[in-house]
Amino acid sequence: MGEAYIYDVVRTPRGKGKNNGALYTVRPVDLVVTVLKALQARQGLDTREVEDVVMGCVTQTGEQGSCIARAAALEAGFDQVAAGVTLNRFCGSGLEAVHYAVGQIAAGFVDLMIAGGVESMSRVPMGSDGGAMWDATNQWRVGTVPQGVAADLLATLRGFSREEVDQFAFRSQKRAVEAIEKGCFQRGIVAVRDQNGEVVLARDEFPRPDATFEGLSALRPAFQMMGEQFGLDTITKRAYPHIERIEHIHTAGNSSGIVDGAAAVLLASKEKGAALGLKPRARIRAAAVVGDEPILMLDGPIPATRKALKKAGMDIRDIDLIEVNEAFAAVPLAFMQAFGVSPEIVNPHGGAIALGHPLGATGAMLLGTVLDALEDRDQTTGLVTACIAGGMGIATIIERV
Amino acid sequence: MTQIQKNPAFLQHFDPNTGIATLTFAMPDGANKINEAFGVGLAMGLDWLSSLTGLKGLILDSAHKNFCVGGDIDVMYKQRDAAAAREGVMQLHGLLRRLETLKYPVVCLLAGSALGGGYEFALAAHARIAVDDPKIQIGLPEVSLGLLPGMGGTQRLPRLIGLQAALEAILQGKLYRPAQAKDAGLIDDLAVDAQAARTKAEAWIAAHPRAKQPWDREGFAFPGPQPATGDARNLLMAASAMLFKKTAGAFKGPEAALSAVQEGTQLTFDAGLVVESRYFAGMVTSDQAKDMLRTIWYHRTAAEKHDGLPSVEEGGIRKIGILGAGMMGAGLAFTSALRGYEVVLKDIRQEALDRGMEHCLGEVSKRRELDEAGKKQLASRIKPTLASADLEGCDLIIEAVFEKLEIKHQVNQELEGLLAANGIWASNTSALPMNDLAIVSKQKDRFIGMHFFSPVEKMPLLEIIMGAETSQDTLARCLHYCKAIKKLPIVVNDGYGFYTTRVFSAYALEGVQLLAEGHPPALIEWAARSAGMVVGPLQVFDEVSLSLGRHGIEQGEKYLGTELKLAGVELLKQLVDIHKRNGKAAGAGFYNYEDGRRKGFWDGLKSLVAQMPAESSETLVQQRLLLIQCVEALKALESGVLRNHRDADLGAIFGVGFAPNTGGPFSYLDRIGLNNAVATLTAFAERYGTRYAAPAILKKMAAASERFFEKV
Repeated sequence: MGEAYIYDVVRTPRGKGKNNGALYTVRPVDLVVTVLKALQARQGLDTREVEDVVMGCVTQTGEQGSCIARAAALEAGFDQVAAGVTLNRFCGSGLEAVHYAVGQIAAGFVDLMIAGGVESMSRVPMGSDGGAMWDATNQWRVGTVPQGVAADLLATLRGFSREEVDQFAFRSQKRAVEAIEKGCFQRGIVAVRDQNGEVVLARDEFPRPDATFEGLSALRPAFQMMGEQFGLDTITKRAYPHIERIEHIHTAGNSSGIVDGAAAVLLASKEKGAALGLKPRARIRAAAVVGDEPILMLDGPIPATRKALKKAGMDIRDIDLIEVNEAFAAVPLAFMQAFGVSPEIVNPHGGAIALGHPLGATGAMLLGTVLDALEDRDQTTGLVTACIAGGMGIATIIERV
Repeated sequence: MTQIQKNPAFLQHFDPNTGIATLTFAMPDGANKINEAFGVGLAMGLDWLSSLTGLKGLILDSAHKNFCVGGDIDVMYKQRDAAAAREGVMQLHGLLRRLETLKYPVVCLLAGSALGGGYEFALAAHARIAVDDPKIQIGLPEVSLGLLPGMGGTQRLPRLIGLQAALEAILQGKLYRPAQAKDAGLIDDLAVDAQAARTKAEAWIAAHPRAKQPWDREGFAFPGPQPATGDARNLLMAASAMLFKKTAGAFKGPEAALSAVQEGTQLTFDAGLVVESRYFAGMVTSDQAKDMLRTIWYHRTAAEKHDGLPSVEEGGIRKIGILGAGMMGAGLAFTSALRGYEVVLKDIRQEALDRGMEHCLGEVSKRRELDEAGKKQLASRIKPTLASADLEGCDLIIEAVFEKLEIKHQVNQELEGLLAANGIWASNTSALPMNDLAIVSKQKDRFIGMHFFSPVEKMPLLEIIMGAETSQDTLARCLHYCKAIKKLPIVVNDGYGFYTTRVFSAYALEGVQLLAEGHPPALIEWAARSAGMVVGPLQVFDEVSLSLGRHGIEQGEKYLGTELKLAGVELLKQLVDIHKRNGKAAGAGFYNYEDGRRKGFWDGLKSLVAQMPAESSETLVQQRLLLIQCVEALKALESGVLRNHRDADLGAIFGVGFAPNTGGPFSYLDRIGLNNAVATLTAFAERYGTRYAAPAILKKMAAASERFFEKV
C-alpha cells in the first residue's frame, strides 16, 4: 500500500450563509477558483502536474450542480489535463474528497491531485437538491428525522443538559475569537476578491465576540416545534422506543452556523512531491468511514474514529490534537464522553458553532486547521472527524513529517 | 327524441334538441358499485357516445339514492393476486381517461353520496355539481378500511385542489357534506335539488364547450406548491411525520396513499396512475386490508343490520327513565332524546341533576342541523327530576348508578314497580353479572344488561348482556332501541366482566405488569401503539382511574374466586394506597398531569419497579399486550359468554380500542396461525405466568387446523 502526503491546505474565510453575508454576492465556483489559484500560487505549481481535482459539495443543484470541480479547474486557468470530480457524502464530503485523493495516490492511479470542498449555503439552500432520503416512502421503510431533532435525541440519550451544551458553545466562541486574534488561521486563509481584485472577505465572518453564556442560555430551542408538533420526535421511536421524550436543548447558538466557503488540499505521492521540489507537511496515517444508526444519525464520529485508530494501529492517547466537527454541541460532547479525552485537545480553536459549517467544505477546512495548530504547537498527530447525515461517520488521522 | 337504452351499468339517453347525452349510473340491486360490470357498462356507454352526432355535452347521474359509494368490496376482499388487481384498475383507468378526454364537457351530478371509487369516478368528469343536502357524503374514506384510493384519487385530487388539501382528504379519509366539499374544492357547485343541479349542469356545458381536465391542459400547474419543489418537500415531510405520529406505523393504507401522492404527482398524469395502481394492488391484496375489511366492513355491517339476532317490528319503547345523571346517565338521556324518545333523567341529588342537564343542554346546542325551535323541542324531551313518581309508565329504565351490587339492588327494588306493563329494566354496568343483579327483580325475563361506553355520544358500541332468564323478546326490543340510537350491538351471555371489560382489564393490567417487571414505561406505551392499539395501557388506565382498576381487581377476585398474584397488582395497590396516585382525574397516576394534560411519567415509578429485564423489546411487549387480550377473548368464547366470533372482533375494536389493523383478536390469531399462537402462549405461560396458558379451545382448534374466519 502506497502513501499520500499533504503539501498544503488553504481555505476561504467563512461568510455568513445568508443574503446579508459577504460571500452571498460571490458565485460558488469562484470560491473554488479562489482556493485553487491560491494553492497554485503558494506552491508555484505547474498545473500540468495536477491530474485531478476532487471537490466535496453537498447541495449539488443550481449553481453547484453538474460537477463544480471541473468548472472551477477550468475557470481557475488550470491546464486542461486537470480533470474534475464532485462527490457528496453530506457533511463528510470535504474529508471524503481527501480520502478519495489519498486512495488514488496510494493505489498508484494518480501521483498528484487537489482535494477539497465547497458550499455556498447562502446561494444554494441546504436541502434544495431533494433526494430519496427525505421522501415519504423512505420514511416508512427506514425513518429519518432532521439533524436538529437527531442532535436533541443524542443529547437526551447521553444525558447532556442545556447548560452543558451552552457552555460548550460559549467555549467554542471564546476559542474561535482568541484564535482569530492570535492569527492562528492566518496561514491557511486566502481572501476572496471580486473580479477587479477588491477584497470581498478576508476573515471569518460568523464568530460572535460579544457572545455571553447568558445570551446563549436565553435562546429558544430550535427544533422543539418541528419535533413535538410535526411528529418528528415520534419517528425516533422506531429506533428508541424506550425514550419517553426528547429534551430539545439545541438552539441556533449551540448548533453549527450556516456559512459559505471553500477549501483545497494539495496531495501527492512522496516521489512526485520530491520530484517537483515540494515540501511535505504531513502524511495520512488512516482514513475511515462508517455507517451507523440512521435515526440518531450524529454518533458516527465515535465508530469512525475507532476504525481509523485501529487501521493506524494507534490509541486515542497517541493523538495530540482533535477536530470534531461541531454540527451540534452534543456531537463533540458525545465524542469526548466516549473517548475520555481532555477538552483541551479537542477543537482548540473553536469549531463550527462559532465559525460555521459550510457543509461540503468543512472536512477539508478542519484538516488545515488541525495541521496549522500542530505546527504552531510543534506536535505530531492530529485527528479530524465528522458526523454525517444518513447515520455515517468519517475520520482522518494525519502525522506531521 | 331517442329512447333510453340500457347497458349493464348505465342508462343511455341522448336529447338531440339540446345535444346533451346522459349516462345514468343504474346498476341492478339498487346500488352502484365500481366493478367489472361498471367497466363493461362504461365502455359500452363510451362507444355509444362516439356513435352520436350533434353531441354538445355529457351528464353523469344516478338512478339510485346514492351516486356510488365505492368499489365492490366482495371483489376486493377476495383479491390476492396483485398483478390481476393492477390489471383491473389499469383497465378502469383507460376508460376514465377516455371519458375525461372527450372533446365535449362532462359534468357529474351528485344527488346522493359519492364515496371512494364512486367519488373517483366523479373526479373524471370536468365538473361536479351536488345537491346541497347535508345527508349526502362526499370523500375518499378508503384508508379507514385498510386501503387507499385506487381509481386515480391520489392523482386527480392533488392536481385538482393541491397537495395539502388533497392529503387532508385522503390521509384522514375525511367525509365532506356538499357545502364543505365545495369549500374544499372537491365539487364545483351546489344546487337545491336534482332538477336545479341538472339545469346548472346544462348551463355549465353551454359555458364550457372546450372543457378539459386541468392536468390535460397545456402549461398545467398544481394549485399550491408544485411537486418536487422545496415547499412541496417540506409539506410532504411534515405530512409523513404527522401521519406516523398518528398511526405509529401500524396502518399501511395511509402510508401507501402518501407515497403514491408524492411519487405520482411528480410524473405525467398517466405515469402517476401507474404508480398509484402499484401501491393499490399491494395494499388490496395484503393481510391488513383483508382483516380490516372483514371486521370493519363485513362484521360491522352485519351487526348493524342485526344479522342472526331477533327482531321486532315495534319496540314498544316510548318513554325512557335514566337513573343517575352522571356522565353516562346524562349522555344516555341526550342520545335517547335526540332520537325522539321521551326521557326522564333522575338522580337523588339536585347538584348532580344540574350538572347532568348542563351536559345535555351543551350537547343540544352543538346540533347545528336544528333551529332554535328544534333545539328547544329536543331539550324539552328530557325531564330532570328528583321524584321517583316521574318514572311512572316508563317502557325502559336504564339504571346507571354507582357500580355496587347493593346499591343496584336497592334501586331496582324501589323503582322497578314504576315500569309500564311489559317495561324493561336495563342495568348499565361494566362488570356485574346480570344473574346477581336480577336476583331481586320480579321480572327477570325483562331484566337485561346494557353496557354503554363513555362518552356515549361518541362511542359506537353497545354490549348487551343476557341474563339466564332474559327473554328473546326483551332482547329484540332492546335491539330495536339500539338501532334507533344508532349503536353497534354485540350480544353476550352473562359472566363477570362479560366480554369487553374482561379484555380491557387484561390489557390495562398487563401494561402495569410489564411496568412492574421493569420494562420502560415509554416502551410499553409505544409498543402498544405501534401494534395498533388506539391508546397505550398506562395512559388508558390513568383515564379510567387506578382506584377503579384496583376496585375492579378485588371485585373480580371475589367473583372469579382466583387471586391475582402479580407484581403489577401490587404496584397498582401501592400507587393507589400509598402514593395516592389515582389517575388522570386525580391529577396523578402513572403520568403527571398539569391542567388535565399529561406531563411525562411520574419519577417515583422507577423506585417501585424491578430492574429492566434482559429480554425487553418492542416486539415482545407488542406480542404480550395483544396475546393477553386474545387469551381473554378465548376464555370468553370457551365459557359461552361470547355467542359468536364476530362479536369478539367487533367488541374488542369498538369497545376496547383493540388494534384495528389486526381486525380484532380472533382475526389476529388467524393471521399469526393458531399453532403458532399456542406455541407462543405456552412459552409465555412458562416465562411470565399461567395467565398466558393457551385455553383448551385454542389448542383444540389448532390441532384440528381450524380457523376463526374463512381464509381469503
